[in-house]
Amino acid sequence: MTCDHLSRLLALFVIFCAARTGSVVQGARDFEKKASMLLKEEPKNPKCFAEGRKDFTCFWEEDEERAGSVDQYSFTYTYQNENSSRCPLRVVPAAGGKRLFICHLNRTQMFVEMDVQVHREGMLIHNRSLFVELVFFLDPPGNVTVSGTGQQGQLNVSWVPPPLKYMEDSMMYEVIYAPEDQHPGQVEVAQASSELILRGLQSGTKYKVQVRVKLDGMSYNGYWSAWSDPVFMETLPAEFDPLILSLTLIISFILILLCLTMLLSHQSICSRFRFLIKKIWPTIPTPDGKFQGLFTVYGGDFQEWLGQTSGGLWLTPALVYSEERPSPLEVLSELSLCPSLSSPPLPPKASKALSAVRKEDVKNGLDEREVLERGDSARTDGWRPPPHDHWLMDRLRELHRHQASLLESQDAYVTLSTSNQGENGHADDNFEEALPLEVLFASRKTVSCESHSDLGSVQQSSGSGRLSSQSSFEYPHQAWTAKGPLYTYMAVADSGVSMDYSPMSRVDDIGKVVFYAHDYKNEIPAHRRPLLSRQYPVHDEG
Amino acid sequence: MANRRTYGPNREDPVRGSADTAMEFPRLLALLLIVLEWTRPGLPSPLRPICDLRVLNHFIKEARDAEVAMKSCREGCSLSESVTVPQTTVDLDVWEKKNALEQAQEVQTGLWLLQQALSLLRTSVSNTELHSHIDTSIRNLLSINAVLRSLNIQEYTPPASAVGLEGTWRASSATDLLQVHVNFLRGKVHLLLSNAQACQQDVS
Repeated sequence: MTCDHLSRLLALFVIFCAARTGSVVQGARDFEKKASMLLKEEPKNPKCFAEGRKDFTCFWEEDEERAGSVDQYSFTYTYQNENSSRCPLRVVPAAGGKRLFICHLNRTQMFVEMDVQVHREGMLIHNRSLFVELVFFLDPPGNVTVSGTGQQGQLNVSWVPPPLKYMEDSMMYEVIYAPEDQHPGQVEVAQASSELILRGLQSGTKYKVQVRVKLDGMSYNGYWSAWSDPVFMETLPAEFDPLILSLTLIISFILILLCLTMLLSHQSICSRFRFLIKKIWPTIPTPDGKFQGLFTVYGGDFQEWLGQTSGGLWLTPALVYSEERPSPLEVLSELSLCPSLSSPPLPPKASKALSAVRKEDVKNGLDEREVLERGDSARTDGWRPPPHDHWLMDRLRELHRHQASLLESQDAYVTLSTSNQGENGHADDNFEEALPLEVLFASRKTVSCESHSDLGSVQQSSGSGRLSSQSSFEYPHQAWTAKGPLYTYMAVADSGVSMDYSPMSRVDDIGKVVFYAHDYKNEIPAHRRPLLSRQYPVHDEG
Repeated sequence: MANRRTYGPNREDPVRGSADTAMEFPRLLALLLIVLEWTRPGLPSPLRPICDLRVLNHFIKEARDAEVAMKSCREGCSLSESVTVPQTTVDLDVWEKKNALEQAQEVQTGLWLLQQALSLLRTSVSNTELHSHIDTSIRNLLSINAVLRSLNIQEYTPPASAVGLEGTWRASSATDLLQVHVNFLRGKVHLLLSNAQACQQDVS
């Protein structure tokens, strides 16, 4: 029996001793950690800190070789207006061949100045004056828990403050957090509270969170504690925002509807597509295709080129149907042309000014004007005698048919009819046919040869020539009857331009002239055409 | 004209008209209300307790500024005579053993002593910058008294003289005085306010 008791007692004793040493070892380890931190932070000697309401520890470091024994040193502290006291010292070996001399006090007085002196064999080696409540070095907060808040990108961190009565309201905390593999982390400060919500975090990532504590410096002060043990927590995975999803669906639905309506509401998809492309990225027509060799070989010298080519070019406008929408502008006149024309004063300038003003119709305008300019220049250079007019009519009809088949839209045909009452009396079949795209406004060139040039200029000061133009709206898609040799026909395939053929002999006039900028969309409904024709003030009756 | 008394035929006692009797009641009521208003008990409504310690932190900051200003002062900043100042030492075990009343007494005595000392310093010092600091400190001490009153701490009756009081020191220089001032606010006053009963009830 006694053996049993004894063995039990022995076991208890062993356990007790183990527990005690365990705590002592733990305490020593804690102290070592704090000492090493303080050795880096505090420059003054001895380093002192208070861990709680009563515990107070001071220490200093000495090299192994130079240190004496403990007895050689004396540690004295003096509170203000009090007598000095001594503190018993102990030695602890430290890393790097050093020794730590430690003084520990169990009772302290706060809010009063404390003088600390360290003597070695009577000689003062360290001297320091401090306040105990200003050198707190607390343990890190315990029980750090991180939990989700139920919202995206947020975490709730909570901890237990160090157990110091009266001082909880004076504590401030720092929370450092970062995704698991990243350095350094972001820091958030919390004052006198024991929880904090982290916001703006990435979704679905694992975060590492640590907390440390310090007194705020008003009544109490101290050093930052060590970081608490890290706690890991994953944020909520990214969820699809229902609002964005619904908006995306709605917009895509609308787009699909638009595409479908566009596709279904028109017979030919290709033409619609080409139309769109032409609207968005209009091709700027160049004359190169129609005048082979004019620019490459003859460098733009029209006369030379005329001399070299023959009537084979007649076929080109009919046969060549390039990507670009052709805007053939033909004015066929049987009237003689006035050879001695002064140089066309204005078309280049006027057309340029016009094009400057009418930017939206530049494409077609330039096209026309280029042709017209060429016509002008050709005019001045002299003409070859035109063929018979019946051939002309055949040609026109063929062209018209061809054009009608090519251009399935309702293009505007502006016909300029002139009656020449000039003295010239030449046969009306004076006509230059070799240049199908020339505009020959022979009618305009009357005896007086007024050089108000803009082509198709209807109102002339001379008035001896008459040009009347009729919109093709009056001939809606019917047989375009040739009016006879007295008329000059200008077939204009127009896909958007509208010209006001009013005198623009002077640049100043351009500003005063009213431009009708209605667009010839090819889908002009039939019933609106007469309306448009009213906007065509191109009649000149005299 | 309803109050006009009509006199009877023999010019005897005036006959009171019906209107007079009708006005009797409102008159009496008015008189009653006036009297009650005068005699209303003059107890002030209880002050809302000031439990936010940021007020005290503000005072501590200003006291520290005064201490710093005094340290950098060279001339015209000395105390003419030594003054009695409260002890700032706080031993937490000892402090906790005292009851609330004793703690309040200790704090109020200290505040009173500091007021006396600072007033004396105000007359001793000739530096105008220090004057503003000292005036601020005196004002803050009076504000702390108001804070204590709001915490239902009873009024303090100052002793007849400061000589021989317990728990006091003598300060002979201006810097010592201002340092004591700072430490007193940081220590005992802070402890008293942070553990005031009135504030504890709010928290719990």
